[in-house]
Amino acid sequence: MKNPFEAFHHTGARKREIPLDTILKSKEETLSKILTGYEDLLKNEAKDLVWLMQYSTVIKAYSIAEKGIEGLEYTAEDIEEFCYALDHSDQIPYLITGPAGIYISALCNHAQEQEICLHLRDLTVKINLLGYRLPTDKKLMVQGNVGDFTGIGLDGGELIIEGSGKNYTGAGMKRGKIVVRHNLGFNTGHGMTGGELMVGGRIKGLGKIVGGKLYERDQLIFPNEGIKPFYV
Amino acid sequence: MKNGHYQARIRAIYNFISDNLYLNRPDIEIKGEQFNSTLLFGLLTGLNRGKALIIGEPGLGKTTSAEYVGSILYRYPLGIVWGSEVSGHPEQTEEKIIGRPHLGELNKGKEKVVWSDFAQIPVKIVDEINRLPETKQSMILNGVDRGNWEYLNEILINDEYSLFATANYQDRGTNTIIAPLIDRFDCLIESRHPGSNIAYTIGKEALVHHPLRHPQYEKELHQILRGDKPYEEKMTLAEGVCDLFGEYLKEQLGLEGLNKEERTHINEEMLGLNFDIDTNAFVRMMLAELSFCHKYGQKRSVETCEDGCHYSGYLCHHIKNCASNRLPMSMRKYAQSLAWFLEDDGVDLEHIRLIIPYTLAHRIQWKDSYLSKKEGEGRNDPFQIYLVKAAAEEAFQRYNEQREYLLEALSVGYRAFAGEEVTPLEGDHPIYEEIKKDIGGKDEKSL
Amino acid sequence: MEIEHIIQKLWPRVRKKHFYPQLPLPVVIEGGEDCALEIKSKQLSISSAFYDKLKEDMDGEEIVEAVLDHGITHYMYCPWDFHTHLTLYNEAKKVVRQKDQAHRAATYFMDVVTDTYCVKEKDTNIATLYKNLPKTGVHEVLTALYEKIWGEDLGSGGHEELVNRLSRIPYLDRKSWKKSIKKFTEVIQHILEEEWNDEQMSSHRKPNPMGEHSLENYSLEEIDQGLREFAGAVGDLQEFKETVEDLKEELEEKGYGAGGMGRGKGNPLDANLLYYMKLAESYTLPIRKLPIEKRGYLHPHAHRPWEIGKPFADIDVWTSFGKIIPGITQIWTKREGETHGEYEGIPDCLIIIDSSGSMINPRERLSHAVLGAVCACNAYLKHESRAAVYNFSDALRGNKVVLEFSHDKEQIYQAICRYFGGGTALDLDDITSLLANADNPDIFIITDMQITNLEKLIDFFQRIDNRVTAVHLGHNVHTTRFKDGMAKKKNISLFNVKNKEDIPKIILGKVKEYLNSPAEWR
Repeated sequence: MKNPFEAFHHTGARKREIPLDTILKSKEETLSKILTGYEDLLKNEAKDLVWLMQYSTVIKAYSIAEKGIEGLEYTAEDIEEFCYALDHSDQIPYLITGPAGIYISALCNHAQEQEICLHLRDLTVKINLLGYRLPTDKKLMVQGNVGDFTGIGLDGGELIIEGSGKNYTGAGMKRGKIVVRHNLGFNTGHGMTGGELMVGGRIKGLGKIVGGKLYERDQLIFPNEGIKPFYV
Repeated sequence: MKNGHYQARIRAIYNFISDNLYLNRPDIEIKGEQFNSTLLFGLLTGLNRGKALIIGEPGLGKTTSAEYVGSILYRYPLGIVWGSEVSGHPEQTEEKIIGRPHLGELNKGKEKVVWSDFAQIPVKIVDEINRLPETKQSMILNGVDRGNWEYLNEILINDEYSLFATANYQDRGTNTIIAPLIDRFDCLIESRHPGSNIAYTIGKEALVHHPLRHPQYEKELHQILRGDKPYEEKMTLAEGVCDLFGEYLKEQLGLEGLNKEERTHINEEMLGLNFDIDTNAFVRMMLAELSFCHKYGQKRSVETCEDGCHYSGYLCHHIKNCASNRLPMSMRKYAQSLAWFLEDDGVDLEHIRLIIPYTLAHRIQWKDSYLSKKEGEGRNDPFQIYLVKAAAEEAFQRYNEQREYLLEALSVGYRAFAGEEVTPLEGDHPIYEEIKKDIGGKDEKSL
Repeated sequence: MEIEHIIQKLWPRVRKKHFYPQLPLPVVIEGGEDCALEIKSKQLSISSAFYDKLKEDMDGEEIVEAVLDHGITHYMYCPWDFHTHLTLYNEAKKVVRQKDQAHRAATYFMDVVTDTYCVKEKDTNIATLYKNLPKTGVHEVLTALYEKIWGEDLGSGGHEELVNRLSRIPYLDRKSWKKSIKKFTEVIQHILEEEWNDEQMSSHRKPNPMGEHSLENYSLEEIDQGLREFAGAVGDLQEFKETVEDLKEELEEKGYGAGGMGRGKGNPLDANLLYYMKLAESYTLPIRKLPIEKRGYLHPHAHRPWEIGKPFADIDVWTSFGKIIPGITQIWTKREGETHGEYEGIPDCLIIIDSSGSMINPRERLSHAVLGAVCACNAYLKHESRAAVYNFSDALRGNKVVLEFSHDKEQIYQAICRYFGGGTALDLDDITSLLANADNPDIFIITDMQITNLEKLIDFFQRIDNRVTAVHLGHNVHTTRFKDGMAKKKNISLFNVKNKEDIPKIILGKVKEYLNSPAEWR
């Protein structure tokens, strides 16, 4: 039978590649590797799609996350892409905000840039545990709202939230600075031992604060006469 | 192909008819030139031995345009063309259309057929074909399909012929032309109102006699056609009279018609024009959209396309029937004719994009939901043609976007078909599935 | 003129390059030296002042070809149609929240897409053109972006952070354009704001060197179609309304008003009405074709050969040439005549729609009840019947709209879209009075049945013979009562709707049934 595609015998693809193609391809590859790391984390930590927020599980998840991103080269924009990929269930099989937040925190902490800005205004999901263990030489700015346990265990870095947070913000922070432009929820600063937490809006409720400073609308509310440090 | 000689003559015919006989407004543009679609497609039909269905409101020149084109191209005086026309009315008979027994011979007990002028001459015009009962429509179209006319065990075979059929829009007293019959027409064109200013001038200069009439040659031809000689001999004699009429046209009107040899030569030239790569690929893409069905294997008018199908963004979702194999034949024929007429070296996207609406409009059965969405839209064409123009533009946009990838897919298809171990390219469009089917692959998208 | 000569020379080649766009030959205009191109109603116009200025640095033919490449690609690729243009504008507006800035963001985005497409897919000198264009403000950033994504030296540079972010956007992926333009706008937002502020202060606007994109590029039909597709795609009344309000002036200038079909000057544009009008165009019924009818008498239809044994009475003597011989003699077959009949006439329709507090305000959110009502009206108006509207909330206190039978689409839409948000009571005298003005009209009633004088309504419906379609939302004691009351009435069809999205389809289903059985309503 005659080849019905005879006329296309000599049609080679006249593919003109421009640098944009390379950039996008590299972006897809990096995102794919980041996603693989995240899936590995979930396989280890959330086999039954359930993850309990506990001191030990957070630490364990963070170390698995660090292993998962070892050797990966990525930029702040890649981290942002990953955050948006979390929002689309067709790309990620399951979104569990706890491990996701830890994973993103690990990515931020190990990124090459000293200053990272994540534009997350259009994200429908609020990510928990952002800024976990942010180290001294790092500054993380988040444009948008965040979830629970933001900045917990902050270790010297600067975390700026251009939006609102939820509960347990700054819990257990040791040193560094957290700035939240709008409001926070309950148990703010729970267990914090040092550093500064500055809130531009309202705080619904404080946790048991040990040390450090807490500001609400430029007013120092901890330490102050009305609120004593919590001693175990 | 810069032959130019024949094309110049055809252009002269076009200009003469347009300026003097069929006053009109140009309504299409190609390669920077404007033409009237009825006249242009009429000429192309006459040149490529096609079948054209001309629609329009009563009195807008549907029949006359075909008569003039047929008369000049084939060099038959107008009186002969008039005399050979079959008019559509329910009481038409086979005897009036094809032939009748020779009454004298019949009385002697012998069977001898007197063929009608319609069956004999190459210019065949059926006026108001949709007024004919379906059996008579079938008879005409089956005859023209192969050029074979049978009556009383005698057969007459036409070497060359073109068919022009006219039809009014649906009203009381008209039948429909059923799908298998309408599919046999190569193209659908509308004869439009020329506008009030041109319309006013029609008939203003009354002619003493029609420039395309010649009573003497008409008489001679009539005698030849009703004579007893074998058909081939009659045609040779008729060609002689046509030559004389051709000379008359040249002397009096400056027009050169075509003799049989020239018409054959033109056809050969047309057939020699190739489609460029893009046109080839685009036509395949359109055919894929018009014939593909993911769920049922191919498009069928008895099967309904459901909502939620992966391919609901393509033409297959909006149509009921499958494109026939006559469609690509008509597209090719007319695209080549048009490219030849414009003296282009080959057929390109511009030719095919002009041709597609006219070759496809009468063949598509659109879904009611699609029709009702579109019927309120403003347009300059009859609804059938407008729908296809809009659909073809959308399909062309899809082609434009994925051109490189599609060409690569077709190239991979060539290699795979030739036996090379290659993986066919995946894509959203039905054409990729069709390529896979041709090289033996399976459509793995879930139902 | 030199440039005209160049255009004549290049046009066939450029057309072929872009696969023969259906555009007329470009013309030359005086124009400003800052703006290369104007596109109005598909006519490309090249500025001679721009050409003269740039000719010092570039070859004339290269300038013209690059400008034409850009203009044609806008037509052929991005935005291609008005719907795409609206969508891009709408998404940009979600970021910048200011009309002019959103418009500019959309323009710049379309330029980047267009030029990148040209550079990748066609042989073009667009890169050289940009090398020689002034680089200020946004254009400085965009030129730096082009350097990065095209791999060309355009004499720009800088803005690394912005360019890094902009270069990651998949400009040539049409499906991602909605997301992409938002990212694009976010990145250049502060520059757009600066530009806008500067212009407010200086009252002077720097034109886009590669031309602006406005509604002048589109015909009324394209705008019509684009709005229809946009209404269907956007899914939210407020979004549609905002976009249309932003473009109101341009639409009205173009002659697009809400009068009649949404065309014609004179009537100010009502975005709410337009939304329902456009959405309703997606729910349409085809025009009923002329029915094929039997004429009731036999007529000779066709000939067939006579066979021995067949009756002689039907022999056609003429076609048989006076002979009774098998093979020669023809006999008539007779058939009952069929022809296209006339329409029996479609009744008028009365819409009774509830706009009490429990129903959605159609001017705030998409109301499927209103959409269903307008779909029904459209279907009847299309068949040249009339429609009347009884829009009620607490009718006895005057919260009602009573519109007499009319063909005026705009008035009908206005009446249906009116919202009172009060109590729920009908004034049956109004309905009786409306019914008296038409010949047995079909009635469509859409309500949640929480009507205070429901019993009277039930009595009323029990007494009338009109075809009634009642669509009620939700299930409660009132709907049960209504259902029981109408149980024996065959002319009344009751639909309990769980999903509001089903309302238009239910109503259209009944309309189709009614239109296909017109004889029954008499």
